[in-house]
Amino acid sequence: MENLGEGTRPCGSFAVSCERVSFSYPGSGRPALSEVSLDLRPGEYVGVVGPNGGGKSTLVRLLNGLLRADSGRVRVSDHDPATEPFEVRKHLGLLFQNPENGLVAPFIEDDVAFGLENLGVPREEMRDRVARAIRAVGLEGYERREPYTLSGGEKQRVALAGLLAVEPEILVLDEPTSMLDAAGRREVLEYLQVLRSEKTVLHVTHHLEELLDSDRILVLNGGELVADETPERFFSNADLLRENRLVLPVVPRLALELGFPPAKLRTAEELAEAILARTQSGTRAG
Amino acid sequence: MKLELRDIRHVYAPSTPFEVEALRGVSLVVEPGEVLAIIGGTGSGKSTLVQHMNLLLVPTGGEVLVDGVDARSLKQSELRRRVGLVFQFPESALFAPTVEEDVAFAPRQLALSEAEVRERVLESLRALGAGELAARSPFALSGGEKRRAAIAGVLAMRPEVLVLDEPTAGLDPATRENLLALILGLREAGVSVVLVSHDLDEVAEVADKVCALHEGRVRTAGTPAEVFYGDPAQAPATVQVASLLRGSRPEIDNPVRFGETLDALRALQGI
Repeated sequence: MENLGEGTRPCGSFAVSCERVSFSYPGSGRPALSEVSLDLRPGEYVGVVGPNGGGKSTLVRLLNGLLRADSGRVRVSDHDPATEPFEVRKHLGLLFQNPENGLVAPFIEDDVAFGLENLGVPREEMRDRVARAIRAVGLEGYERREPYTLSGGEKQRVALAGLLAVEPEILVLDEPTSMLDAAGRREVLEYLQVLRSEKTVLHVTHHLEELLDSDRILVLNGGELVADETPERFFSNADLLRENRLVLPVVPRLALELGFPPAKLRTAEELAEAILARTQSGTRAG
Repeated sequence: MKLELRDIRHVYAPSTPFEVEALRGVSLVVEPGEVLAIIGGTGSGKSTLVQHMNLLLVPTGGEVLVDGVDARSLKQSELRRRVGLVFQFPESALFAPTVEEDVAFAPRQLALSEAEVRERVLESLRALGAGELAARSPFALSGGEKRRAAIAGVLAMRPEVLVLDEPTAGLDPATRENLLALILGLREAGVSVVLVSHDLDEVAEVADKVCALHEGRVRTAGTPAEVFYGDPAQAPATVQVASLLRGSRPEIDNPVRFGETLDALRALQGI
């Protein structure tokens, strides 16, 4: 067995590192996470998928110190979330599923400033950081709006701005679009794409198509890490998808069934074009 | 049962500065044992419309007919038993200490024996793949489990028409597929289902008929193929792919469901 003890891996080079992490909820018969090891390198965009109860939310809660591992080792920017949760939360921002739950203040700008106020940031700097965060999610002009007047997508962007104001280098997104309609999903994803160049991102989702551009995709099922794949390999692996109750969207699913690379064909136009190209050249290409 | 809506108009807050005409004359028929999908953008009137189906909302104009009889002449309790309405995010109304108690709440008003209530409750929970949740607290369930428990509460009334307003919003794909399978199972058993949905891909899989609303009016209605091929820009992905190919490969015809579309694509020469 490989020695995974202290010092065998320079964890300083990882943004997030879990070594053989296990966790069981009190009173539950089986572990929610069982000996899970994974690393995120700085700047990586990593997706996490898997059926309900697979361990995705447990992983997220261990990373920001809401839960403490029964065994194993969790490090976020070299800090242990279980013993230094407040330090870890400066480095790691967590965006939840339902934006309604996170909005607390009467005006948008107060909401975005809320996290910073607890960090003792000087007034002037706070103002700058809030303004920058609001710009980063495209909500200039919304500073004095009240949260209840916003659409779902806008609320989720406010929640994201609140995280960005703290300037964490790691973002953890826990199904950030699942409560939004199609338009809201598109706008949130658009701003997340812009952020990926400067952040390390762990993105938990049921919408597999959101991970087409990720660097890696992790599959958690039954508390175990069952796959760690590139998008190309992940989207082409019909057995892996089926065994883990993962459902591809219609266009990649048609592409996969017809033997096209599903990660490359995202829109109806791209698939139709590929089909025409093959049916027209098929006889010649033999 | 045959449920018919004739020229339904609905005005919210009439004669006030907040007056809004949400429905401007909508007519449709739900035939026995069919799945009717109601689609349309946010604010098109979908939720307002379905709340007329059991007269939870009283129309400002027009009428609701149950097997040809004016629904207002029926006893309200009978109408609500026969037309079961599941709201958006119905899990927010769960209240009892156990799932079983919660699901039993409505059938208990029907003067059934306790044994019969219990049988209906377990039958409904099992139909939703939620039999093992009976003894649990609804507040300790996951989002998908809560949703299923809430739908079971309406199913336990054994409605002849089941109206589901965005039943799959926010569910994971596997739970969503289970729910779509339930809809097809109910249709098999002769229950009509009215499905309000934003998700055209799921509408494509289960609907017998589609009614598209726009600004309180019916924009188009018909079979899924008629409605979606009439406006491929607002169609499920299957129809988008097929309609892009129809120009040069007319033999593809007009498939809608995933399986049909895949078969049609596989049948293309040279694929």
